Amino acid sequence: MQKKKSIILFVLLFALVLSGCTGAVAWPGLSTSGDVAYLAHTSTVYAVDLKTHNLLWSFSGEKAGFTLFNTNPDMFIVPPVTMTDGLVVIANANNRHMLYAVDPKNFSAIDKAPTPAVRWKFNQAKGLWIAPPLEIDGLLFAPNSDGKIYVLDLNDGMPEKQAVRTIEVSQPGKNESRLWAQPITDGERLFITSLDKAVAAVDLSTYEVLWRVDLNGAVPGGVALGGDGALYAGSLAKKLERFDPLTGAHQTALETKGWIWGTPVADGDNLYFADVDGYVYSYNTAEQRLNWEPVRPDASITASPLVVGDQILIATESGGIYSISADGKVSLWFQGKEKSKAYTTPVFAEGLTLVAYLDSDYYLVALDQNGKAVWTFSGK
Amino acid sequence: MKNPSNPTQAQRPELPQVNPRETLKTLAVIAVLVLAFMNFSSVIDLLVNILILIYQFVGHNFGIAIILLTALIRLATWPLNAQQMKGAKAMQDLQTDKEWMAIQKKYAKDREKLAQEQMRIYRERGINVFGSCLPMLIQFPILFALIPAITYAIGSYPLSILKLSKSLAAFGLQDVAALIPLNSKFLGIDMGLPERTLIFGVSVPILALIVGLTTFIQTKLTMPPANPGDQSAATGKMMGYYMPIMLFMFSINYASGLSVYFVISNVLSIVQYAMMGKVNWRNLLPGGKKT
Repeated sequence: MQKKKSIILFVLLFALVLSGCTGAVAWPGLSTSGDVAYLAHTSTVYAVDLKTHNLLWSFSGEKAGFTLFNTNPDMFIVPPVTMTDGLVVIANANNRHMLYAVDPKNFSAIDKAPTPAVRWKFNQAKGLWIAPPLEIDGLLFAPNSDGKIYVLDLNDGMPEKQAVRTIEVSQPGKNESRLWAQPITDGERLFITSLDKAVAAVDLSTYEVLWRVDLNGAVPGGVALGGDGALYAGSLAKKLERFDPLTGAHQTALETKGWIWGTPVADGDNLYFADVDGYVYSYNTAEQRLNWEPVRPDASITASPLVVGDQILIATESGGIYSISADGKVSLWFQGKEKSKAYTTPVFAEGLTLVAYLDSDYYLVALDQNGKAVWTFSGK
Repeated sequence: MKNPSNPTQAQRPELPQVNPRETLKTLAVIAVLVLAFMNFSSVIDLLVNILILIYQFVGHNFGIAIILLTALIRLATWPLNAQQMKGAKAMQDLQTDKEWMAIQKKYAKDREKLAQEQMRIYRERGINVFGSCLPMLIQFPILFALIPAITYAIGSYPLSILKLSKSLAAFGLQDVAALIPLNSKFLGIDMGLPERTLIFGVSVPILALIVGLTTFIQTKLTMPPANPGDQSAATGKMMGYYMPIMLFMFSINYASGLSVYFVISNVLSIVQYAMMGKVNWRNLLPGGKKT
């Protein structure tokens, strides 16, 4: 009997060790709408009141009832998107590929945890949801890891959405195409990046791909519309690329020291971005030159910079939030807990800078204008 | 060495003599294990680099790369497995040995003496007590490292790609930017995601079921014939049920690339046992354990 017990214990221990081997595979998604912050962290989306810093509700996916062999855990990592009708679109990045729209004002307490009502859902995609969708004139453009953008009609009143259009961005025959970044629009065209080393433009009146430029490296971040009217995107080929939005004609604007992961941020004539080697760049698009030599706060950077007033804030893998002045002077603004990691782009709302953390006691910290923690949120 | 004229020494129970060669081997295995777990990330990096090198060599096919890596690991650990089989067989044979059974009976109430006698027999027959488990233990770091290695290498999520880039950069052998994203499809299955096949509207994990089935067959086939009252055989029988269930449950939730590893590993294990003439086909038949 004793032997039996030890075998069971061994098997359980073995399973536990195996299960714990991989660790986190993605960082949290963070967004705000009005005075509410939405944090997609691991298996739950949290809505946090910025004024009271109380949890308003949380969402961990719908209970699917009895589904044979469907034990793949829910994974919420995509920044939730608030639409004009007030619904919040939440993407589940597990292998059930579910997109939900929840009503943030209508939540009920189930098992003591307030949960918002699901207004509609969509599950026709074949790949993982990594990119946040974009709403344009009553339509939702949702890019997926299967290389397609699913277009949903937000006004059809259907609780189970069907895609009104499917835009194939990937090249036929290529199966490693993944759309990981939120698209942007200039009103007539939709611009999207792809992990299969491409940037493309889609005509919003015909849903046809207008142009597609193949690059030397994957583009995990999105595109930015620069002050000079050109499009900018960074790639894993260590290059900042410039595109003509009309024709797609492109040239390399700048070679960088490391991979560019996050979406560049345009502020007037300046374009701010960072690389995985930890360097932060300030690029003048009008004069096509660097404003100052790249600075390196301390560690790898996947987040986009956040421009707040006259300072640029940047989150690093070491958990540090650095402030960079207009002339490129770096100072530590806030340091997260030991071993915590900040991969997510910080968000500014209601006078607070919100930073999402991985491997930390708290999931979210709100910083005042001096970089002092005002409150933290740990999922409760 | 023993001096009967010295009463203190005469009364002291005889300490089992240790085979220095076997002790060295055991210590070496322990040292490798400790080193591997202390530098676990290096083991992961090494496996990631080998996996990606194979991936490039076979024309960017991740499934084939996993199959070849599994074969490579099996080949590298072939002598260890052979030693494990040899050790297990020796221990198994001992259970029916007359002298062994006699000391079990004779010293049933004197555990210390029984242990001494057992050690004497091990020494005389050249059996390493850890002969069957040490080779298995040394493979654990590889297995544990293989899980994150495959997960990072497939790169279905942002952080996996970052970890992959760091693993590849650690060795500096490959142009990482040109490789990413990796083609994770194999036979229409995304190796980075748990596999499900819709059968009559029900989502069935075919690969995970194959993992469970091949593990069950492998355990059954490689189980030596049981002797009556043999405790180790009873343990083996229980493992024959637990292991398939455990690996099935594991495969349901993890990247299907890992399921491919388990299936190929099981098949190659059966092949190795068959080549050494140790496969017990009767175990697959109902009531076939009576030999």
